[in-house]
Amino acid sequence: MRPLAALAAIILTLPGQAQTSIRPQAFSLPNGMRVVLLEDHERPLVRARLNVLLSRDLETVHPGLAALALRVLGHSDAGAFSLDEFEQLLAGAGIELVPALRTDGLSWSLLARSRDQDLALGLLADRAFRSVATSLTLETDRLASWRETERLEATPRAKLRLLLEPDPTLQIPTLDHLSAINHPDLLAFYARALRPDRAVLVLQGDLGLEQAKRLVLLSFGTWTVQAQPPVPATTEAAAQATVQPAAASAPAAASAPAPATPQAPRILVRSPRPALLAMAVAAQPEDLDPESAALLALLLPGDPALAPAQLRLEGLDLVGELEADPSGSASSAETSMVERLQAIRQRGFTETDLRRAQAAWSESRALITLHPEAQVREALAEARGRSVSPTRVNALTLETLNQGLRRWLDPARIRTGVLAGPVGP
Amino acid sequence: MRRLVLPLLAVLGLSAQAPLLDSHTEDVQERRLANGVRLLVVERRAVTAFHAALVFRGGRAEEPPPLAGATDLLARALYGATWPEDLDPAKGNGSLDALLKEEEGLLEALRLERLRQRKAPESANQAQALGASLWTLHQAVRARYSTSPLADLYAARGGRQTATAGADALLVQTELPASDFEFWCRTEVQRLNVLQLSRFSEARAALATELRSRGPQGLPMIQGAALPGHPYGRDLADHLPALEAMRRSDLQTWARRACRPDQLTVVLVGGLSMDAALPLVERTFGALPAGAASASTEDPLLPEIPADLGDRRIQASLGGTPALLVSWRIPARPHRDHLALRMAARLLEGPSGRLAQRLVRQKAVAQSADVWMDVPGGRLPGLLVVRAVPSEGHSLAELEGALHTEILRLQQEPIPTDEWQRALTQIDVEQLRIQDEPGALASTLARAWAEAGDWRQAEQEVQRLRNLGPEAVQLATRTWLNPSHRTTLWLQSGTDESQDPLEAETARVLKALAATRIEDLAQRERLVSEGLRQLRMLSLDERRRTLKLLEAQLTPEKR
Repeated sequence: MRPLAALAAIILTLPGQAQTSIRPQAFSLPNGMRVVLLEDHERPLVRARLNVLLSRDLETVHPGLAALALRVLGHSDAGAFSLDEFEQLLAGAGIELVPALRTDGLSWSLLARSRDQDLALGLLADRAFRSVATSLTLETDRLASWRETERLEATPRAKLRLLLEPDPTLQIPTLDHLSAINHPDLLAFYARALRPDRAVLVLQGDLGLEQAKRLVLLSFGTWTVQAQPPVPATTEAAAQATVQPAAASAPAAASAPAPATPQAPRILVRSPRPALLAMAVAAQPEDLDPESAALLALLLPGDPALAPAQLRLEGLDLVGELEADPSGSASSAETSMVERLQAIRQRGFTETDLRRAQAAWSESRALITLHPEAQVREALAEARGRSVSPTRVNALTLETLNQGLRRWLDPARIRTGVLAGPVGP
Repeated sequence: MRRLVLPLLAVLGLSAQAPLLDSHTEDVQERRLANGVRLLVVERRAVTAFHAALVFRGGRAEEPPPLAGATDLLARALYGATWPEDLDPAKGNGSLDALLKEEEGLLEALRLERLRQRKAPESANQAQALGASLWTLHQAVRARYSTSPLADLYAARGGRQTATAGADALLVQTELPASDFEFWCRTEVQRLNVLQLSRFSEARAALATELRSRGPQGLPMIQGAALPGHPYGRDLADHLPALEAMRRSDLQTWARRACRPDQLTVVLVGGLSMDAALPLVERTFGALPAGAASASTEDPLLPEIPADLGDRRIQASLGGTPALLVSWRIPARPHRDHLALRMAARLLEGPSGRLAQRLVRQKAVAQSADVWMDVPGGRLPGLLVVRAVPSEGHSLAELEGALHTEILRLQQEPIPTDEWQRALTQIDVEQLRIQDEPGALASTLARAWAEAGDWRQAEQEVQRLRNLGPEAVQLATRTWLNPSHRTTLWLQSGTDESQDPLEAETARVLKALAATRIEDLAQRERLVSEGLRQLRMLSLDERRRTLKLLEAQLTPEKR
């Protein structure tokens, strides 16, 4: 009787378990800004993510500019408020406003009680396009960025990971790059990057469509595309200094890694203690379809062919790590890591693997209901045309999947490095 | 205009503070199974998946010294990955269990052989032959596992699992679609019944490598100095030989004690009702054998440290940025002053907190200032820690002085109403976020049970915080944040590499020797500094000879 009762209870709960995703509602402002609303009145909370896409050319000219620009914005007066007043207003209402620089551009994540939504969105708009970046703030933040660049606080493993970063926007700038950025560069960056027609705002939580339209228009309606100043040529030389193939044992020189090629010089980071770790980073190909990317992200990390190496997905990068005996050779650890990845690339996946990955991906859709932040991320991906379509996932062929695998793990895309002890290879 | 807008917004903000939050504990349903397992269910109708937290109370604090690191090893070897072979209970020749027993014997023989080699390097070396046998055995073990990707049972169902070892508990969190609930119950119970620990040797090696490459760090150092002789003050890196000597069977024995039903609370948040969950949980978790009521299953008696141990100071050079760490011994979570201290920490921390406002922005003596409560846990008396990094051109002494001025201000000057209100608002938002995120709610309830003995504390504390007055905070800070409860650590920017190599090696050997005899880190540091000071007076030859003599006193594995 008991098992029957349990079964009945499960069956009773199942009808309510049909995918209860919230239907996104979208609208645009006359200035070109796109807005997606995920209405959910379950709790008196509002989340928002404002994302501004960055064009690649901005970073090609000024490595490190985007990160410095975001840092300066965070320490600037905004709208009618001084920095102190701005922060007191955020703190007074318990509003969380977190900036981030990712492969998909600049973004600000916001969390506030729904009763504070007017204030919160107003402050978000102030920060995004009414910040007043002065040259004094630039100098203070340049110094702080330099300290961060030196990564005095970072562990050797984190340093190695940063040195292997394939995305130019997220790479560590050299001191030369940082020193070359001036106030006009910053202003030009803001004018070129912070544009409403490049922005998507996702709102999630306790607000209705009409209310959202009113609030967004009030806060962001006056955001206009600024006249773009000419790109200053001050850092052209610094940009060219990005490539410095240098002595393998000098982490400072390695801080500007060369573009990945199979012959790229090895990046070596020294640890004060005995260690030997080979790391490989492969950036997701820009034109890889989202469905292949989603299934490969499920299949690759758990592949037994990697053992004892570990593989994980960090943003859009696959990061492989292989710990080896500290008395061993750095080059053989590095080769061993790359060989494992290449073995998977050559072997490819089977129809069974594909079917299991498709099933796992479909089932994992339910988990999004546990994570409001993930719902925001997914709505943003959809607005940017990078969402994963269930229909296309199910229609994906083995050939397409393995093509994607071969491109992602192409040796030319893989950057490798080694973390080793104070003395040794 | 700007001056007008600001007060207006502030007033609007304040007037909106009045209504209090809904209680999330009203949603929590609790049942206790006959074998002692507790079940908490929070139903979220709109959610089509569930977040499950298994919390085993105990954690690192209850590990006896020979088993230091056992909780971390359980998190890595028992949880995290779920392979079908690990749930196979087959015993006997040729079974995975038999191979793993063989592996245990080989690993131990290899360890002993290496120790023997260090003592008598000229004797015949068996390590290579043992290593080869171990390699062959590992191939045999590996051959038993699936070679296809997505072998992990939860990953294949779109789910995930993480496990975290803490000072007070082992917390295992799993997320799966609601339709997989029965599968999850059976899998978790089977995992506890079989206790296969097939990844034991890899997990132990990885943990040891991690601890070795990490080296000494500020937080464990200040814990050791502030809580000498207490499990909360233990740095796992000091127990590497014990960790490396731990066997799979030792960990299995420990797991049977640490993961027994009366130590376990299951928290479920998501698309499951108590009516749906309870029968399955009773059939599965309810069938776990209750621990025998013997001395070995009773809560261990942990040493108590007087909070007013005296003002303690240590200095160290770990390289990197200089930093100041100041800690105060504070009472355990159930103590009446704990909440007031939590509020004090909130007033100090964060971008709008006093330390960021005064030390970072106004006085510009610090680049950053962070505050942590209940380090490393809250079940027993722990620490409130402030870590601050000095700004360019400012010394650690200057920063320390400025920090103590802020603590004094907190103790003596009335707390402004708007600052108090701001802290309450932040707590409100934090509570809303916890209610909104099933994972956060599950771990909050789990932590409250592990630390305070009752999950209801999670909500009751918030209510009590709202009723707390600023005077209570000042009183508590005067009682607890005073010099007799304080430990200070100065982390200098230099490194040991800047020392001459002979002195660096002597310091290493002295530290290792002192670690075997003196548990109190502050005393140990004093002894090492004094030893180095006296050795500097000797000639170079005498110093070399002394170093050899000192080295001879070390056990082979520490040389």
